[in-house]
Order: sequence, then C-alpha cells, then structure tokens
Amino acid sequence: MEAAHRSSFLREWILTVDHKKIGILYGITSLVFLFLGGLAALVIRTELFRPGQDVVTPDTFNQLFTMHGTIMIFGFVIPMLTGAFANYLVPIMIGARDMAFPRMNALSYWLFLLGGLVLLSSFFIGQMPDVGWTAYPPYSIESKGLGLDLWVTSVHILGLSSILGAINVIVTIFNLRAPGMTFSRLPLFVWSSLATAFIQLFGVPALGGAVTTLLLDKHAGTIFYNVAAGGDPMLYQHLFWFYSHPAVYVMILPAMGIVSEIIPVFARKPIFGYKAVAYSSLTIALLAFFVWAHHMFVAGMQLSAGIPFMVTSMIIAVPSAIKVFNWLATLYRGQIDFKTPMLFATLGFVGLFTIGGLSGLYLANVPVDLHLHDTYFVVAHFHYVLFGGSLMAILAGLYFWFPKAFGRMYNETLGKWTFALFFIGVNLTFFPMHFAGMLNMPRRYFDYSYDPSLAWLNQISTIGAYITGVAAVLLAANLVVSAVRGAKASANPWGALTLEWQTSSPPPHENFEEIPVVTSGPYEYGEPETPRKRFKYGQTVGGETISG
Amino acid sequence: MEGSLFLPDALSETAKEIDGLFYILTGIAVVIFLLVWMLLLIFLVRYRRKHPTKEGLRLYGNTRLEIIWTVIPALILVVLGIYSAQMVYALQKPPADAYEIQVTASKWKWEFTYPDGPNGGFTTLNDLRLPAGKPILFRITSKDVIHSFWVPELRIKMDAVPGRETRVWVKPLKEEGKFKVLCAEYCGTAHANMVSDALVMKEEHFGKWVASGGKEDPSGQPLDGKQLAQQFGCLACHAIDGRELAGPSWKGIYGTERELADGSKVKVDDEYLKESIVNPNAKVVKGYGPAMPAYPQLSDAQLQALVDYIKSLK
Ligand code: HEM
Ligand SMILES: [Cu+2]
Repeated sequence: MEAAHRSSFLREWILTVDHKKIGILYGITSLVFLFLGGLAALVIRTELFRPGQDVVTPDTFNQLFTMHGTIMIFGFVIPMLTGAFANYLVPIMIGARDMAFPRMNALSYWLFLLGGLVLLSSFFIGQMPDVGWTAYPPYSIESKGLGLDLWVTSVHILGLSSILGAINVIVTIFNLRAPGMTFSRLPLFVWSSLATAFIQLFGVPALGGAVTTLLLDKHAGTIFYNVAAGGDPMLYQHLFWFYSHPAVYVMILPAMGIVSEIIPVFARKPIFGYKAVAYSSLTIALLAFFVWAHHMFVAGMQLSAGIPFMVTSMIIAVPSAIKVFNWLATLYRGQIDFKTPMLFATLGFVGLFTIGGLSGLYLANVPVDLHLHDTYFVVAHFHYVLFGGSLMAILAGLYFWFPKAFGRMYNETLGKWTFALFFIGVNLTFFPMHFAGMLNMPRRYFDYSYDPSLAWLNQISTIGAYITGVAAVLLAANLVVSAVRGAKASANPWGALTLEWQTSSPPPHENFEEIPVVTSGPYEYGEPETPRKRFKYGQTVGGETISG
Repeated sequence: MEGSLFLPDALSETAKEIDGLFYILTGIAVVIFLLVWMLLLIFLVRYRRKHPTKEGLRLYGNTRLEIIWTVIPALILVVLGIYSAQMVYALQKPPADAYEIQVTASKWKWEFTYPDGPNGGFTTLNDLRLPAGKPILFRITSKDVIHSFWVPELRIKMDAVPGRETRVWVKPLKEEGKFKVLCAEYCGTAHANMVSDALVMKEEHFGKWVASGGKEDPSGQPLDGKQLAQQFGCLACHAIDGRELAGPSWKGIYGTERELADGSKVKVDDEYLKESIVNPNAKVVKGYGPAMPAYPQLSDAQLQALVDYIKSLK
C-alpha cells in the first residue's frame, strides 16, 4: 500500500514528462527560491535599519545581497516565467497536447533544480559567493573560497536549462498549433513567450562565455582580466551585459504577456491593439540586444561612446509605453470585475511598472546617470520593474490560473488583503530608495554612517520590507490551503476565451479530449453577445459541451 | 547634510546643468505618471462591473490613436536625446588649463596626488581639497579592483579601473565646507567605508595648503585623532568598544602585551603603534590575517594624533 503509493508519486511527479506537471514543479521550486531570496532581503533591510553595523558582518552582508540577487533573478523570476508559466500555458493555449520535446522539457526542470541546489550548497558549506550578481572581475576572481566557483557552476547549469527550455518553446509554437490557430490568433502570452525564448537562445551563450572566463582566470592562469599581463576587466562587463540586459526583458516580456491575458478577461473587452502589443514584444526582444552599454556609461569608456546606447535605451522605452497605453485603453468602457488577479494586473503591474519605466529614462540619460549610476536610485528602478512589474504579474498569474491548475478556488478575501499588503509594502520599500540614491547612498553599502541623516529613508524601506514579508506569508497560506481545501473550480470560472479555459480544471492528461478547431481570436469579448456563443473551439472538451 | 529631499547642493556649473536636465526629466515623468495613474483610477472606478453578466464595449483598436501615442513619446525622446548628447560632449572635454589631480583608489581608501608642493608633488589620504573657481581634471585609476569615484555634490562619477586611466573634470564654484567622496562600485568587505572627506577652498587657502605639502591646515586647528581615524577608515576594521571586527579593537590595548602570529610578544607602546600603522605587516597580532593596508603617507603629526587617540581609549 505504502510502496504502491510511493511509486505512483515517483511516476506521477519525478518521472513525469507532462508539461503541466513540469510547469507545476517549476512553479513550486521557484516559489521556494522566492522565499529564500526574500529572507536574505529581510536580513539586508534589518542591517540597514540603522547606520552602523548591527546584525551581520560586512562580509555576510555582501554574501547576502549576492545570494539575494542571484536567487531572485536566476532562481525565481526567470524560471517562474519561462519555466512555470510558459510550460504550463503555451501548449494548452495553442491547442497542443504537450511540448514538442517532453523529455527534454523534464531535463530542463531537473537541470534548473540542480543549478539551484548548487547555488544553495554554498550556504551549507559556509562559502557563499560575495561577488554581487554581476561578478565583475578582477574583484570576483580574487574572492576567496568556493563561492565564485559554485556561482559560476550554478549559472552554467541554469543557463543550459534555459537554452533547452527556449528551444522547446520555439519549436512547440512553430509546429504544434491546433488547426485554425494562426499567428494572428495566438494569445499574447504566447507571443511574449516566443520573443523571450529567442532572447534566451541568443543571449545565454554570451553569459556562459563571460562567466567561464572568470573561472579560467582564477584557476587556469589565463589573463582575460589580468591587468598586469595586458588583460582588460571591461571585456567582462560587455559580455555580461550583452546577455544580462536582454535578460531583464526575459523577466518582463512574459509578465506583460500575463497582464495582457488577464485584463481583457476581467474588463470583458477585446485587448486594445492586439497587433501593437504583439509586435511590441518582438521589437523589444530585438532592441534589447542593442542597449547593453547603458550599464557602463561611467565604466571607463568614453562618455560620448554612451550616446548611441542612450538613444537605443530611449527607443526601447517606446514599445513599453505603447503597451501601457494599450492596457489602459482596454479598460476604457469595460465592465471591470476586481478579482484578485485583476488588482495585481492593473494597480499592481500597470501602475508600478510605469514608475520603473520612468526612472529608467533618467538612468538611460548619460549626464544624469553620471550622478545616479550604482546608487539606490538604480535599486529603486529595477525593483519597480522587477517587483512592481514582474512579480506583480506573476502573482496575478498565480491567482488567475490557480483554479485551472488545481481545480480549486483560492480564497478571494484573503487574496485582496494580500494584494493590499504587497502594494503598500512595495511602495514603502522602494519609493524612498529613489531619494536615498539621489542624495548620496551608493548601492551595496552595508553601512551609511558617513551620513546618518539617511536613516529615516532607510527605516521606511525596512518597515515596507517587513510588510511585504507578511504579504508573502499570506500568499503562501492561501495557495497551500486552497490547493487542498478550496471550493471546487469549474472549467472556466472567469468566463475566459483562451483555449486553456475550454478544457476541464485541472485539464486531462493530454489537455484536450479532442484537439480543438480554432475559429476566432482569443479576446472576442464585448456586447451584445455572450462570449461562449462566439466560440467553436471544439466539440466536447473536458467533459463540458461548448456549444458552437 | 540637510539639502533638499531631491538632490544635494550643486557645487559646480556642470552639476547645475545636470540638475537642470534632471528636473526636465522629472517634469516629463510626473506628467506621464499622473496621466497613467489618473486614467487607471478613473477607468477602474468609472467602469466597475455593475452586473455579473454584462460585457464591455467591443473595441479592437484605433489606428490613429495608436500612431499618436507612438509618435509623441518618440518625439519627446528624440529632442531629449539631442539635448543630452550635446551636454555629454561638453562633459568629456576638459579646458586646456585644468589643474590635474591624480586619484588612486585601492581597497579601501582614496589617495589624491597633487602635482605641485614642496617636493614637486604630494599625496593625501582620504582628504580631497579643491580650489574654488578653477577647472580641475581628475585622472583616475585603481591599484587593485574596480572602484568608482563619486562626488554627489559635483554630480560626477567615474570608475577607477586597474590598468586604465579614466578622466572626468569639474569646476567648483565657491568655497564649501566638508562633503564626501564615496566609492560607488562594489569592492569588497569595507566598500561602505571607502569614504573620503572633500572640501572646496578659497584659491589662496588652497595655494597655502599645497605649498605646505598638504601637512598644514590653514585653519591652524590641532589635529584630532578621532577624526583622523574616521577619515582614514581605521574604524571600519577597528572597534573602539571591544567588539572584534576585521582587526583588533582599540579599547584598552595601550600598555598591554600582545602575542604575535610568530609566537613572540610585544608591548603596545607609541613606537609599536606607529609601526603598525605605517607598515602593518611587520608585526601581525596572533589570530589576524595581514589584512590591513599600509599608511606610509601619514605625517608625524597625524601619526602622533592617532596614537594619542588610541591611548585615550580606556
Ligand atoms: C523603459 C525602459 C527601461 C529603461 C530606459 C531602463 C534603463 C536602465 C538603465 C540605463 C540601467 C542602468 C542604470 C545604471 O547602472 O546606472 C538600468 C538598470 C537596470 N534595469 Fe532598467 N530600464 C528599463 C526597463 C527595465 C525593465 C523592464 C527591467 C526588468 C524587468 C529593468 C531591469 C533593470 C535591472 C535589473 C537593472 C540593474 C542591473 C544591475 O546593475 O544590477 N529595466 N535600467
Ligand atoms: Cu539594462
């Protein structure tokens, strides 16, 4: 009995090649990383509550922000968006039974877990990397212990996982679309996943090359960054940002995709300017490869060499702005229902991402960046895009597709409270950081006793961080309890029109009893007809008859 | 530093110009922010769903509107780009008569080398002084890892890269009391303590100070050991209350006997303390690595002031 139960768990989860189960594994693992990264952040914020050194040593502090950044980016946002959401949603949304290469898909997940564990192992052996998530040489090469080695190994494994995942998404979208699912009928999340997969495919190798040179310099005596022997540390920065700037779009494009799915459903309106939103994703993905040196305006290149990158960085803000206007226009004369996912998508994502986009304009401006580069202003900027943007969209998506994946509803009241706490917490934490940076606070400082008047700004941030921590606990409680005890969810609780809602909750093994035939676009809402009448996705799907 | 909530005092012409650009950007940002948030809130309130089965307006797009909201932001950005680009060229071209100060960063201190003075040049530690009204060119480099030279009041920042010389110039406007040079590129344990004092002096005061080789403070104040300890970054690694940081605490060590790494013993007196500051690796106390940087550039008066300060910590 016991053994049978165990072996079915093994077969169902450990050996699974089902894209939905792999997606859920990705999701759970990334959420664990979110909490670990969040704990590190709380310690960092506690240290910064007052000037001077309080709770951790400077070295521990440096390790904690390195782990925090690495975990959040490589362990949470990227795998959550490109692993969990893309895996779960892309095949169902295009009417496929699975990914193109299911076993490779499973391999991607297990590599992700392995890479994550390698990173975490540094904690258990007491040698966490202290090089920052950017690991600039020569500092990173001189660092003692196994920290850098584990960090590089982990980045390699995670990178391999990303590349395999990206290949799978691209091939699946090109080859496995259901009959009638033309490119102009692809849900916007699928478009954004496609753009993202291309970024990963072309960008990750640059990152792999960059971090490899660090190890070679450290252990094999090469001289890429050895100044005495004619090496140049700036080479690394170019290679690193050639990937890592596009990587910030890996972290935002799928988030934009999620928001583009959710807003029409709860506003009961077609998305405004479908084509503009879809093409903006592609434009951003392409332009993302031409802005990298905006991270290096003061790194030692000639200032005027920054001008082309200033220009491209400002251009890339345009498609982002277009999307914001499109979402707003989608709300216009809608019938808006404030379910938790909608709160996260509108006030959360649209509202806060806008702030992050605007602060990006300051940083993209060479003269102004002379003052703001590497300060808390930058920390505020990328948290508004990553926390206010990516994470808010991820949370919107988690609540939105939770009933689909688990067949149960989450608790709506608790969800709304969680949103309120996240919203307050994020703004309290990150808004004051703009001012700290504009005044005189560099990033990655464990102490600001040179100017104790920075204390009040930091104290607001720290309080905000604790509020965010409470919100995260509520989130976890809601998801865990609802997965076991939540009210049963129908196939389509939101009355949504994309294909994943046309099958049962949770969907059957290969998603559809019968592959649907697609006859119209994904967002055909609007008066006067009710949406279901406009759809002929298939005959009998998931046990429910959808009348054509 | 009081300053406004926005930006610290601007001590140079360039800083004021950069601030001008900053405020233009802020104007644009505030307008867009208000536009987005007002529409967001108005739409969310105005179009709340009144009835569960109601549908919204069937509206797929509007080409004219979409062209407008693509072209307008693009135009604003083009104008902004041209305007900012001009400033970039001005920023990177120092006047021919600029006074040159060599900035050398290392873990975790700033050294400033002045081209004139008694012996044809001298170096100060964590003590940057600038003459008011003269253009100054900083030639910046690093002895070890990458650091970044940031003076918030001057709105300039430039990385200090080993093996390279980077440059940035400013023209401070008027005499101005203490402000700070901060390291803005992460460089390890004491990154946050890599802070130097900075000061803009009247040109004639600056001249006198340079003539004394940086040793003599024109104000004639006696040297304060505690302030020097802060200025040189000693307190990053040495506590004064008995806690163990990267180095031994100073509390009550004067007059005691210490065991060294090689097992021998030494008495903590003036001579030992001075040696430990100028050449710290000569005698390393048991249990500590050779982590402390050497401070050969301190004057005798500065050394004595530091020793007196350590003596005073009972
Ligand atoms: C309107 C579009 C944006 C512009 C113009 C912009 C501009 C910039 C610039 C110039 C920097 C470098 C700042 C400096 O180091 O001085 C920067 C940093 C950063 N941005 Fe953005 N950004 C934009 C959107 C985004 C988005 C969408 C994301 C991610 C979802 C993002 C994430 C980041 C991150 C993570 C950093 C910091 C990297 C680091 O130094 O560790 N940005 N941004
Ligand atoms: Cu970037």
